[in-house]
Amino acid sequence: MTVALKSQKGPYVQVPLMLAAELQDSLMVVMHDLHRLEALVSHASDNLLERFCEANELITDTLVSDTPELAKARNALRAAVTELQFQDMASQLIWHTTKVLQSCAFQLGAEVMALEEDEEGAPMNDLAPDRPNPVTQSEMDAGSVDLF
Amino acid sequence: MQSILAVDDSPSMRKMVSFTLTGAGYHVVEAVDGQDAYEKAMNYPIDLVLADQNMPRLDGIGLTRKLREHPKFKVIPILILTTESSDQMKQAGRAAGATGWLVKPFNPSRLIEVIKKVMP
Repeated sequence: MTVALKSQKGPYVQVPLMLAAELQDSLMVVMHDLHRLEALVSHASDNLLERFCEANELITDTLVSDTPELAKARNALRAAVTELQFQDMASQLIWHTTKVLQSCAFQLGAEVMALEEDEEGAPMNDLAPDRPNPVTQSEMDAGSVDLF
Repeated sequence: MQSILAVDDSPSMRKMVSFTLTGAGYHVVEAVDGQDAYEKAMNYPIDLVLADQNMPRLDGIGLTRKLREHPKFKVIPILILTTESSDQMKQAGRAAGATGWLVKPFNPSRLIEVIKKVMP
């Protein structure tokens, strides 16, 4: 059995129903994996920050005698602050990607599976991200500064 | 000691910002979103606001606009620290009354330099 995927502007394409269902399943699996990835990143980041703060407390302890090595260690920790912001950027990227995939999955479902008489369609506008991905950086270099 | 209101819905970002600012000798008041920030801004003496843009309830530009309507925040510097780097967003921030637009991730030394430059 094939179904027609309707585009509001263009011509229809015919795809086997099983293929459409598998595509939707794959999208759901990827979304689930992204949730797991976000949890892993978040957990790792929390632990990393805890250890970072612990290390900072130890080397800024006034009872510890000041040495050039200690000063270097403090500077190294301070410099790591830029990279430690990865969790915030990663979670925004994951959130946006998940929204795009979710929108694709629901749209595919709505086009392929006919709705029951009393069933309401998924609100597509709420599912799709309303603007482009806010994270455009591909490296952890410090961002720009504009003073108005 | 000068007080900075650090606003971000990400706990890790708040931690990084606080670490940087307290290390530079500032007192930090943390807020979890724009609405929380507005309430804290009304109740604490604040010398500078450093706010994220994308947050639930009230975003950074919305917070800036709301704060600028209040006499207490007519001239206090408001910096937006965000992943958003489009010119359109920067111009929206400027129009709302932001003092500057910093794109994440921030460099701690550069952040302190900017704060010293705009802080009265």
